[in-house]
Amino acid sequence: MVSGSRVASVAGTQGRVARFNAPRAARVEANASGFPVEVNHQTVAFLREEWRVVDRWWTEEPIIRRYFELVLESGENTVVFHDSTGGGWFTQRGA
Amino acid sequence: MIACVSIPGLELKAALRRTPTLALRPAALAPEPQGEPLIGPITAAAEALGVRPGMRLGEALATCPALALVEPDAAGAEQAWEEIVRALEDAGFAVDPASSGVAYFETRGVERLYGGLEPALKRALAAVGTEWDARIGAAGRRFAALAAASVARPGQVVVVADEELPQFLAPLPLTLLPLERNRYEELESLGVRKLGQLAGLPGGAIAERLGPDGRRAWSLARGGTAARVRGRRPPAAVYASLEFPEAIGNELALRRALTGLVDKALARPERRDRFVRKLALAARLETGGSWRRTLTLREPSADSERIRVALAPRLAELPGPVVELRLELVELTESSGQQLELLAAGAEDRTRLREGLRQVRASTGSGSVCTVVEVAPWSRVPESRALLVPKDE
Repeated sequence: MVSGSRVASVAGTQGRVARFNAPRAARVEANASGFPVEVNHQTVAFLREEWRVVDRWWTEEPIIRRYFELVLESGENTVVFHDSTGGGWFTQRGA
Repeated sequence: MIACVSIPGLELKAALRRTPTLALRPAALAPEPQGEPLIGPITAAAEALGVRPGMRLGEALATCPALALVEPDAAGAEQAWEEIVRALEDAGFAVDPASSGVAYFETRGVERLYGGLEPALKRALAAVGTEWDARIGAAGRRFAALAAASVARPGQVVVVADEELPQFLAPLPLTLLPLERNRYEELESLGVRKLGQLAGLPGGAIAERLGPDGRRAWSLARGGTAARVRGRRPPAAVYASLEFPEAIGNELALRRALTGLVDKALARPERRDRFVRKLALAARLETGGSWRRTLTLREPSADSERIRVALAPRLAELPGPVVELRLELVELTESSGQQLELLAAGAEDRTRLREGLRQVRASTGSGSVCTVVEVAPWSRVPESRALLVPKDE
């Protein structure tokens, strides 16, 4: 596979194993209810789905994410999540 | 000019060769064993008594109680037709056999050889022989030649010049056209009974009412399109036959006989190591009739086992016990070798892909090409499901 992703290029340049579909930081504007209204300067046209992932709660690095599947104004489909433990918004493929 | 040789009722004539006395009496070709009960071609005596080809058997017998039914001899008819076509080819005509009893050829190449069109056509009639009551029609187009042959008497040649074609075709019946029975009836119900009436209608309206077949028929009624006739490639004459001391209907015994026949036919020196493309399995039935099936192999082969497996299911179609089984290698390949693949299927694609990846690696550096390895596909966390592993070769 030839990967164009940042993670892949990190894996490539360092010649080591990397995670596939690793989250990428994204610039997301959310409204008062926490729903994204803009992703990477593109307005959200439609919210298709929302779900939560809570995992590894038994470890010192639990995962608590709120995922949104969105359709942007350009027609692009994207999945973003808000990381409730460390804070911040990320886009992710394969979710 | 295109010439059409026509032998109406060839199947009946071939079957009557076994019982020639029936030719002068009212007789008809019996219906196929597993087909509809419709009689085939009939003798002139039967026609005189009101019997028509294609009649229901019951109706025919009611019309003419003395009607004799002749067992079809499909293999005999095919063999006879093949002999006729070969006789024409031996006389220098490049023949295109359209169906049993109808063949076309171009006269242009042989006119000078025989001293003109008429002598060439008479030579063709002579090649066919008098026993078949052949007739020949010649015209500028294929359908017109068929139409001319349909109006010719036995042993006669009818030539239609291009300028006379519309007037010639106009009074002929629609049955000359390759249409389904219900289409004729539909046209007749509309008052269209002759080719000229059909040709006079607008093509668009015919296409709308009768579809593509109707449009084609309309085009033929106007003379058809000009197309050249290509002579066939003569079939190979390689065969093997097995005559049984008594009729056998047991499938196991027939399968064993078939195995022997396949080996025998493949061992014939005339095959000259060529591969078999098309075969025919024929049988002479205990009842006096015959049976024949042809089979084209998916790819040419000289493997006896493969040929036997392909032919064996046909034995189940035999309508009764057989006294002789015959296997013909109808078409053989020209070469005796078979090109095998140097690389396995898809190998070239893989080689090209590998080369492309090497190119990417060369331009972006080691580690830029990775393989996705699934490690926990069940995980709810997307990035935990798979890893990117650098692929340096």
